[in-house]
Amino acid sequence: MDALYNLARYLARNPADADDLVQETYARALRAWHQFTPGTELRAWLLRILRNTWLDRARSDRRRQERSSAEDLPEAEQPVAGEDSWLRGDFELDQMRRLVASEIEEALLSLGEDQRTVILLDLEGLTEAETALVLGCAPGTVKSRLSRARAALREKLSDYRKVEKS
Amino acid sequence: MSCAEFRPLLHDLRRHRLAPELAEALRLHLAGCAECRRAQAAEDVLDNLLSERLPRYAAPPGLRRGLAALADGEPRRERKRTWARFAAPALAAGLAAVTGALLFERHSGRETSTLSALAEEAVSDHLRVLAAQHPLEVESGGSHQVKPWFEGRLDFAPSVPLPDLPDLHLLGGAVGYFLDRKAAVVEYALRRHALTLLVFRADGLAWPSAAAAPEVAASARGFHVVLWRANGLGYALVSDVNPPELAELAARFAAAARP
Repeated sequence: MDALYNLARYLARNPADADDLVQETYARALRAWHQFTPGTELRAWLLRILRNTWLDRARSDRRRQERSSAEDLPEAEQPVAGEDSWLRGDFELDQMRRLVASEIEEALLSLGEDQRTVILLDLEGLTEAETALVLGCAPGTVKSRLSRARAALREKLSDYRKVEKS
Repeated sequence: MSCAEFRPLLHDLRRHRLAPELAEALRLHLAGCAECRRAQAAEDVLDNLLSERLPRYAAPPGLRRGLAALADGEPRRERKRTWARFAAPALAAGLAAVTGALLFERHSGRETSTLSALAEEAVSDHLRVLAAQHPLEVESGGSHQVKPWFEGRLDFAPSVPLPDLPDLHLLGGAVGYFLDRKAAVVEYALRRHALTLLVFRADGLAWPSAAAAPEVAASARGFHVVLWRANGLGYALVSDVNPPELAELAARFAAAARP
């Protein structure tokens, strides 16, 4: 349940909406229970329902779209990290190690929904096939999506240190 | 293979997702390529930040209770708008299966990692106290003297519990750090054993979900740790006393810390 709630918190950004999102996920899961194949990954199935529920809500909630129009741009419009993002100097890596929880959370929340979700699913230990099920994409594209998302997050985290130093 | 081909595989290497021969080829490449080793270091830093510091939100007790009640066929009254739609008895069997599967989910690798990170930090704090020549900033024979000392030194009011046990003595306290936040460090003696109780704000801290209630135990470097949360604060009790006794002590401390 915590995996569901955690993803809900990072999608909805507040406890009340996350609660509602998990409840709605349960409701949908029950309605679609006959479609679940016993023996397959229940967690990925539920996470997929949760994400789709969130996307449906986001589409129909104009206010939320206005509030987060920048952060929910399609992935292609997100800033793409350059090759140099791999090659941090030792000093910069050491600076990143000093980041605190709130900075990491803020940086993750500043990513688009696609990138945020793929990072969280990887963190939950989902396989590429399970992640593909949740995202509704081909398993072969998960690796590149995750790679781009992690590069974007590294850039964001690096920016935090630059801002603090200046 | 070139650096550009190897680098997207670094994360898979950490996750043990590569075929043995590809993993070996990547390790050989890393041994001779400084730039790829630097890229690997960047991956390691990001992994550690995400697994150990990114807050992981546990489902609130109210939500758990509501879902558990639904598994028993009871609709949750306070959220009629959402819940009433799926409280129909015909769905009870499916709901019980879904809820049961989620309530009793196994601990993921990340849970284990989060727990060990917290335990390691607690043991390090305990060792710092043991190694310091003057570890205590306030020495006292009673919690009524130690607790007020923390006022103004922390942005929360820590409990300084003192369970009524004949061999347990409160030695004093100090302000320390637990990961990225200030903590009350309270020191006790139990027979010839030293006990350290760390009290810190639990908000925004990655926390194993099993530690939400009532407690979770771990060991590191020969010491044992019991972690629990109450009223927004996190507690870590560390000592070298044997795990069953430490668990019993933690329960007494938790009871004594309740307002």
